[in-house]
Amino acid sequence: MRFQIALLAGKLLYAVGRRMGKATNLPGEIALKICPDMMGRFRFSGKVLAVTGSNGKTTTANMIAHILKENGYTVANNAKGSNLTGGVATTLLTSSRMNGKIEQDFVVLEVDERYSRLIFRDFSPDFLLCTNLFRDQLTRNGNVDVILEKLHEAIKPSVKLILNANDPISANLAPENPRVYYGMGRTDLSTDRCVNITHDAKVCPKCFGRMEYEYFHYNHIGAFHCPSCGYRMPEMKYQAAQTDFVTGDFTVNGFPVHTEYKTPFNILNTTAAVAACAELGLDFSRCCEAVSRFVVMKQRYDEFKVGDRTAVMILSKNQNPVSFDQSISYVLELPGEKTVVAYVNNINHTGHRDTTWLYDIGFERLCGKVDSVVCTGPRAWDLAVRLRLAGFPDSAVRVERELAALKPVVDDTRGTICILTELYDAKSILEVIGK
Amino acid sequence: MNSVKICWLYDDLLDLYGDSGNLMILEKRLAQMGIPWETSRLSLADEPDFLAYDMIYIGPGKAKNLARAAEHFVQFKENALQAVEEGRVFLITGNARLLFGREFTGFDGKIRPGAGLFPYTGKETGSVFISDVVGAWAFAPDTPSYGFVNRTAHIEGNDEFPLCSVRLGAGDGEGPAEHEGNLYKNFFATWQLGPVLVKNPVLLREILVRLAGDRMADYDDSLEKKALELTLAEFPQA
Repeated sequence: MRFQIALLAGKLLYAVGRRMGKATNLPGEIALKICPDMMGRFRFSGKVLAVTGSNGKTTTANMIAHILKENGYTVANNAKGSNLTGGVATTLLTSSRMNGKIEQDFVVLEVDERYSRLIFRDFSPDFLLCTNLFRDQLTRNGNVDVILEKLHEAIKPSVKLILNANDPISANLAPENPRVYYGMGRTDLSTDRCVNITHDAKVCPKCFGRMEYEYFHYNHIGAFHCPSCGYRMPEMKYQAAQTDFVTGDFTVNGFPVHTEYKTPFNILNTTAAVAACAELGLDFSRCCEAVSRFVVMKQRYDEFKVGDRTAVMILSKNQNPVSFDQSISYVLELPGEKTVVAYVNNINHTGHRDTTWLYDIGFERLCGKVDSVVCTGPRAWDLAVRLRLAGFPDSAVRVERELAALKPVVDDTRGTICILTELYDAKSILEVIGK
Repeated sequence: MNSVKICWLYDDLLDLYGDSGNLMILEKRLAQMGIPWETSRLSLADEPDFLAYDMIYIGPGKAKNLARAAEHFVQFKENALQAVEEGRVFLITGNARLLFGREFTGFDGKIRPGAGLFPYTGKETGSVFISDVVGAWAFAPDTPSYGFVNRTAHIEGNDEFPLCSVRLGAGDGEGPAEHEGNLYKNFFATWQLGPVLVKNPVLLREILVRLAGDRMADYDDSLEKKALELTLAEFPQA
């Protein structure tokens, strides 16, 4: 009875909240208050697949849902990245009939790695895909070991894992569980040494010996082996190859795939999505065809005009240096003259003034490749210090801490305006520059 | 001209975040002063001789990695203590400080011996603790400092040779404190992690003076000073 009341309350709140654009988390949160073990009471007709990891989980989960739908299946999923307990509960309760049955062919849940053990306390997915594990918001999450422990508590022995063979950390997840690996071989963009500062697997996660790499795709993602204990990149069941970063064409196990977002990061995510759907039982070639028609959401990369200049909003996650490194890669791929406008705020959830995370971002890669960097936001001067240390000449670093005074500074720069900021600050910066 | 020899110990194992900033600015300033330098990165596979270096830097790391580092480091503690007594410059940040106390309780509850330079004990709590720290360094009591603490451990019984008087934020434990860290001869240790030398031009200058001696020359650090000034202005209560 309590379960039915929770379902009803959640569904009603969802119906009301949707009109106000606030329906992603609250209905689930309230329903869980009414029936704390609600998540364990749903009955699934189809397989449940969860997607987690530090970076790329929203896009990968959406790709998987896209492939499934394109192949004619019904899917329940949290498409908007509402990946905490309330968001997952909302997705399940809105997909459920009043008897608790979820009749969709597949359930695809993006799950925040920190909340995984809470979300999966009362039920378990059949499959878990982990895209990668990096240092991420260390003031909130703690380090990668803390995340690994939470994931280990969440993963029940029956869960089949779909893991990134190029990531020495997540490839070692729950070693006793059944698993398949996906990954990518050496590409034109692979490097012999790590070009990023953030490198979370300098030592072997098993024995702490210094790790060796044949190549890197980005950060610590690459082909690795440990001379001390023999831990090495596992064999890939699904392998991306023949990658062409100009056209966006590549193959997975010989089948052609295309993407418009032509980075190693996205090609790995695309391969992950294809691997997951193949494991769910779909025809492999049809997975490749379907994912080639997927359009990456514009939420994180949006282009618009400021007068006669092109501006690109490139969003990254707060205190997530790998995400910022990806933004830098995006800037470097843009043609022509460029100016970067970077907004650096305090630690977003606490207001602490720390900027330690800026020293894990490879700003050095932008040096000499952009006309200038305009630093703005509360920690603008700290960013200027970081950029000067990265080797930027004084003339290429401009500082305007106050957003209200930013417009003339940006107007005085040249080329495409690349705005690097995080989601929470995007609107305020857009209001100023977009005028 | 002799090179300044820097040892970044456990650069691979103790690499929590932002630590490379300290090396970046040290190397930049040495280069600006025309002083040649060499940085060696040593870890578990090495047998370090600290007397062979002018400066030893150890940053914070994950709890499991620190435990592994401690098992290695303790084998060389006599050599490390001798290097401290003979005036080698040490910069020890974050939970790497646990290596220099009497002992610490690790993530697994196991007690691991430290080098015993100080009588304090350390403990991994398992909980993330963060704090802004506004204070002043012992050698520059009139110049305010700013640093950031992010840790899952603390220190108890550290009553001698403080490095930083604390005006706002945490000391060696989680609660309010009068001081934190250690300064003994040329041994600098603080919970303030990440690019603490970048954030505090006066601390960098003090370390460089001790490192470069007669070869110390002036350089422009007005940008770093401005960034610090603006940060400190946001703590009117300190």
